[in-house]
Amino acid sequence: MSSTLDLGWWGVVLAIIAGAIRVSTPYLLVSLGETLTEKSGRVNLGLEGTLVLGAMSGFATSYLTGSPWLGLLAAGVSGAAMGLLHALICNLPRVNDIAVGIALFIFGIGLAFYLGKPFIEPRAPMLPAFPLGSWSHHPAMRSAFDVSPLFFIGIALALALEWAMKNTRWGLILRMAGDSADAARAIGRSVERIRTYATMAGGFLSGVGGGFLSLFYPGNWNEGLSSGQGLMAVALVIFARWSPVRCFYASLLFGGASAIGPAVQTVGITEGYYLFYAAPYALTLAVLIYSSSPTQALAGAPNELSISR
Amino acid sequence: MALPRYDARNRDTGSPEARAPPPAHGTLSWRLTARRLPTDSLESLLLSLAALAVAAILFGGFVALQGHDPLAVYQTLYLGGFGTRFSIENTLTQAAPLLLTALCTLIPARVGLLVIGGEGAVVLGGLGAVLAGVALAGAPALIGTMLTISAGALAGGFWIAAAAALKHMRGVNETISTLLMNYIAIALMNHLISGPIRDFSQTLKAQSWSIPNPFMVGNIPGWSVHWGLVIGLTFCVLLHLVLRHTTLGFSFDILGGNRRAAQMAGLPIGRLMLLACFLGGAAAGIAGAIEIVAVHGAASESLVVGLGYTGILVAFLARQNALAVFLVALLLGGISASGGLLQRRFDMPHAVTIVLQGLIFICVLASNAAGRWHRSSG
Amino acid sequence: MTPSPPEVEIVDFSKRFGAVQALDAVSVRFTAGRMHALLGENGAGKSTLVKCLMGYYQADAGRILVDRQARAIAHPYDAHALGLGMVYQHFTLVPQMSVAENFVLGRERLPAVLDWAAEHAALREFMARMPFRLDPRRLVATLAAGEKQKLEILKQLYLGRQFLVLDEPTSVLTPGEADEVLGEMRRLADAGELTVILITHKLREVMEFAQDVTILRGGKVVARIDVADASEQRLAAMMFGQSHDTAKPELASRAGPSANYLEIEHLHALGDRGTTAVAGASLAVRSGEIVGIAGVSGNGQKELVEVLAGQREAESGGLRIAGRAFNGTRRELEQYGVSLLTEEPLANAAVRSMSVMENLSLRQFDQPPLAHGRFVLDRRAMRPFADDLIRRYGIRTASRFARLDTLSGGNIQRTVLARELSRDVRLLIMQNPCVGLDAAAVAEIRGQIMQARERGAAILLISEDLDEILDLSDRVLVMAAGRISHETDRASADRYEIGRHMAQSRLSA
Repeated sequence: MSSTLDLGWWGVVLAIIAGAIRVSTPYLLVSLGETLTEKSGRVNLGLEGTLVLGAMSGFATSYLTGSPWLGLLAAGVSGAAMGLLHALICNLPRVNDIAVGIALFIFGIGLAFYLGKPFIEPRAPMLPAFPLGSWSHHPAMRSAFDVSPLFFIGIALALALEWAMKNTRWGLILRMAGDSADAARAIGRSVERIRTYATMAGGFLSGVGGGFLSLFYPGNWNEGLSSGQGLMAVALVIFARWSPVRCFYASLLFGGASAIGPAVQTVGITEGYYLFYAAPYALTLAVLIYSSSPTQALAGAPNELSISR
Repeated sequence: MALPRYDARNRDTGSPEARAPPPAHGTLSWRLTARRLPTDSLESLLLSLAALAVAAILFGGFVALQGHDPLAVYQTLYLGGFGTRFSIENTLTQAAPLLLTALCTLIPARVGLLVIGGEGAVVLGGLGAVLAGVALAGAPALIGTMLTISAGALAGGFWIAAAAALKHMRGVNETISTLLMNYIAIALMNHLISGPIRDFSQTLKAQSWSIPNPFMVGNIPGWSVHWGLVIGLTFCVLLHLVLRHTTLGFSFDILGGNRRAAQMAGLPIGRLMLLACFLGGAAAGIAGAIEIVAVHGAASESLVVGLGYTGILVAFLARQNALAVFLVALLLGGISASGGLLQRRFDMPHAVTIVLQGLIFICVLASNAAGRWHRSSG
Repeated sequence: MTPSPPEVEIVDFSKRFGAVQALDAVSVRFTAGRMHALLGENGAGKSTLVKCLMGYYQADAGRILVDRQARAIAHPYDAHALGLGMVYQHFTLVPQMSVAENFVLGRERLPAVLDWAAEHAALREFMARMPFRLDPRRLVATLAAGEKQKLEILKQLYLGRQFLVLDEPTSVLTPGEADEVLGEMRRLADAGELTVILITHKLREVMEFAQDVTILRGGKVVARIDVADASEQRLAAMMFGQSHDTAKPELASRAGPSANYLEIEHLHALGDRGTTAVAGASLAVRSGEIVGIAGVSGNGQKELVEVLAGQREAESGGLRIAGRAFNGTRRELEQYGVSLLTEEPLANAAVRSMSVMENLSLRQFDQPPLAHGRFVLDRRAMRPFADDLIRRYGIRTASRFARLDTLSGGNIQRTVLARELSRDVRLLIMQNPCVGLDAAAVAEIRGQIMQARERGAAILLISEDLDEILDLSDRVLVMAAGRISHETDRASADRYEIGRHMAQSRLSA
C-alpha cells in the first residue's frame, strides 16, 4: 500500500478517473437501455430491481456453468424478462407506468435476494479485462486501469444508437411511438408492441449492467451490491436529454462522482465518508432541479412520457 | 386498434372530450354507468380481493417450483400472522408503522402527486425524535414524549414538503426526487450516527445517542404491542375525517382530479401541494419517531427496514382510501411477521416476503385495468 | 403520368353505436375529379361516414365501390392502398421530428436504413410541384397551425393519395389562408388530379369552392345537390330542418355608457413553449356589454383566457376588475362574481372523476349551506343543491352521483354552465363555449349569454367562429400576434376587414 500512498493526491485523481471509467459502465448500459424505453414513451423505474436481478443471475450462472460470458447472457435475458413483464402490465389500459416500475423494483429485488442467498459466499469466474494499466509498476494503478470490454461495447452502442435513431426505420418508428402515439397508430403501427420491444431491450441492457457489477467490479454477489444505480440512470437519461452519446458523457460524470468517496479514503480522509456516498444522489437531484422547469415540459422529452407532462 | 381522437375543434394541445356516442366495443349501456359512490367502494374492494387471490396463487406456484408445498406455506403464513396471540401481536407491531408510512404516499396521491419518499421521511423522523429527545432531557415524561414525536413529525413533514416545493417551483418530478431523497436521508443518518451524534459506548453497531428513558413509550396494558399502534390508528382516522369531510379535503380532491379546474376555481395550488406532502411526510415522520420512542430508543440502521416501501404498497392496495389502510396494513404486517416462521420451517430466505409483496403490488396494479372499464365512457 | 383519381361510391351505409344510429342507409357518390362538400351540423354523422370509409370503423351494413368495383376496407391500410387519404382536424404529426421525417414515416415501405440525401432530394423535387412549400428540416413543433395543416395535406399528396377527405381543414386558418388552401384543392380537382371531399359547417366555403353538396342530418342523407343550384339559405334550411334564421339576432340597445368592469392593460404572457404568446394585449369590457374577440387559433387567445382563469401566470401587465387589481384568488372570484365557460370543459373546468353533484359544488363548497365555518364540509347538503341545478338547467344524468364523464358532451357543458351561471355573475368570460355541441345546446347557451347581458354582466367572448362573434357581440375586437389589433362595433363590422386583421403576422401555435 505504501506505493499508493506515495502518489498522494495524484492517486486520488487517477482513482477518480479509473473509477469513472469503471463505475460509469453500468450507468452507461442502464441509461442506454432506459433511453430506448423512454424514447418509446415509457418510464421504467423498476430498473433497480432489474439490475440487481441481472447481477444475481449473472453471478449464479457464471458460478454454475463456469463461464462468465454465459453469466452475462443470463443477466441480460433475466433483464429482458423483467422488461417484458413491465411492458405487458403497462400495456393494459389505465395502468400507471411509474407505479409498475416501483412494483417491479420491489419484486426484482425480492426475487434476487431470495434466489441469490446460496450465492453470497462463493466466488464465481469473473469477466476478463483489457489490462490498460500494464505500463505501470504500481499494482494499484494496474488494477485500476483494468478496463472491461463492456466499457467499449457501451461506447460503441451509444454511437450506434444515436445514429440508428435518425437513420434507420426502427429508430424513426421508435421515436414516433414515444412522441405521438396517435401518429403511430394513424399509420397502423402498434404502439404497444413497439414499447414492449423497447422495454425488453432496455431491460436486457440493464441486466447486463447488473452482470457487470457482479462479474467484474466489484465482482461478487451480495445484497448491498447496487444502491440506486438503476434509479439514477433514469435521472441520467433526463440529464442527457435522451441522447445516447450524451448518456455516455453523463455516465462518466456520475461514475466520477461515485468514485470520489472511495478515492479520498486512500489519502486518509475518513470523516464524512457517508456524505460522499450521498454525492451521486445529490448530484442527480441537482441535475434534475437544473433541467426542469415549472412551465415547460423538459426540452427534447418524448411527448408521450408520463414524467415529462 | 385505437382510433384517432375526433373532436370538433381539437388543436394539438387538446385532450379527449366525452363524446356522444361512445364506441360500442367494451362498454355497457348507460344505465349501468351511474353508480352511487358506496358501490364504487364495493367494486374497488372486490378488485383488491381478486388481485390478492391471484397474487396468492402465483406465489403458491412460485414456492411449488422451489419444491415446497404451497398449502403448507399458506398455512404457515396464516399461523405466523394470525394463528396465535403471539403472532397477532407480532402482526400488530409490524402493522403499526405501516399505517403511517402508507399515508406518506396516500395523502399526496389525493392531490395527484406520486410520492415514494416514505423511507427517507421515516429516517428523518427518527433523527428528529432523537435530537429532540436528547435536547429535552429532564422534561416531564409525557410532555417529553409528545414533543419528541412532534419533532419527528415536523422533520418528516418538511422533508417531503421540500419535494413538493421543488415540484411546484421547478417542476421536478416528485417520484424521482423523493426516491433520491431516500438515499440522501439514509446517507445523512449514517453520517450522523457514525460521528457527530454517535453513542460510543455501544460497540455492537453504530448507534446514535439514546433518548431519555422516561420518554419511552410502553405497551398497551395486557398486550405486547406498544402504544404506537393507537397513535397510528388515531392519525389515520383523523386524516380520513379531514380528507372526506372538510373543505380542505375537497380542495385536495379537486386538485388531484384536474389541476386546471382547481386553478380555475381559484384554489391555491402550491399551498395545497405543500400541505398534502407535509401531512404525508409528518405521518411517516411519526412512524420513525415511534420506532425510536417505542422500540429502539436510538437511531441506527434498524430504522431502514423498508417501512417506507411497504407503506407504498399499502397505499396502493388500499386504493388510496384512508380507512382501508388499516386492513391492508394488517395483511402486510402479517406477511412480514410470518417471515421468521417461514424462514425456520422451510429454510426460506427472509426475502420471500418481499417477493410476495412485489407480486401483490403487481397484481393490484394490473387489476386497475379491469377496474373502471364500465365506468368511464371511453 | 399520374393516374386519374378514383371515383368512390358508398351504398347503404349503416352504423350504430349503442343506442344511437349514427348512420342510416346513407348512399353517396363521389364523382372523380370534383370537390364534394359533406355538410351537416355536429352529430349529423359526417365524420362517422368518412371514418367508415377510411377503415377506422366497420359499417354494420353497406358497400363501398371504388371505380365501380366493390371493395372491402377493413383497416386504414386497405383505404391507403386504394389511394384514399384523410386529413384530420387534429394533427397526426410527430412534434419532435422534422418535416422530412414526418413525410417519410407515412410511407408503407421504408428501407431499413434511410438515405437522407436521396430522400431530401426527392422531397425538394416533390415540393417544387406543390402549391405550398415547407422547409423539410424544420421541427414540426415550431410550425404554426396553418403550416401544420398544409403539411398534413402535402403528406397525403406525397403518399400518392388521390382521394382526399378534408375534415374541417380551415378551422385553424385565416380567411385568406383558407381561401388559398381550398382554392388549390379545387384547382387540383379541376386538373383531374384529385377527388376532394370537404367536410365543413361553413356555408360560405361550400358555395365558393365545392361543386356538389351532400347534406346529412341525424345520420341520414337529406339532400344531394349541385352547388350551382343552391344558396346559403337553402343549404342552411336543409341542414337544420327548419327555416334557420341566418339574420343576426337583435340586441336591445343599451341604456348608456356604464363603467368598465374588466380592464386588461398591456398584458404579457408566455406560451407553453416559452415564447411570447400574449404580447401586450389591452382591452376593457363594460357592464352589460358583450365584447367579442375574433382571431385565428394560436394568436394568444388561449393564453389570455388562461391568465384570466388563473391557469397561467402573466409576465407583466395589469388586470383589474371594478378598478381593483385582480389576482384570481378564490375570494376575489366570489367577490367580483367572475364566471368562466371554457372550451373542452372536461380538460379545463371540471373534474371527470368526480360526480355531477361534486362538480356542481366546485364554486360554492366552502360557503354555507355546503360548508360550516368554511372548514367542515356537509356532503348531505350537496344533494338538494345539486338536484336543484340539475332540474333548472336540464342536465341529463342518470343520477347526481354519476361520474361526470359518463355524461354526453352537451350535458357536461350544461353542468359547467349551471355551476357558473347560477351565481351572481358580474363578469362572464367565455372561450369557444359552443364547440362540439348540438344546435339545441348552442341555442341554450346563447340564451343564457343574452340573459346575463340583460342582468348587467360584463361579458367577454373569445371565439374562433367569426359568425358566433358577429352574431352576439356589441363590440368586436381582433386578436392577432398576441395583441388586440382592431376594434369595431357591431353596426360597422365588416367580415373581410376583420379577416384581414386576423391575418396579420402570426405567432406559432
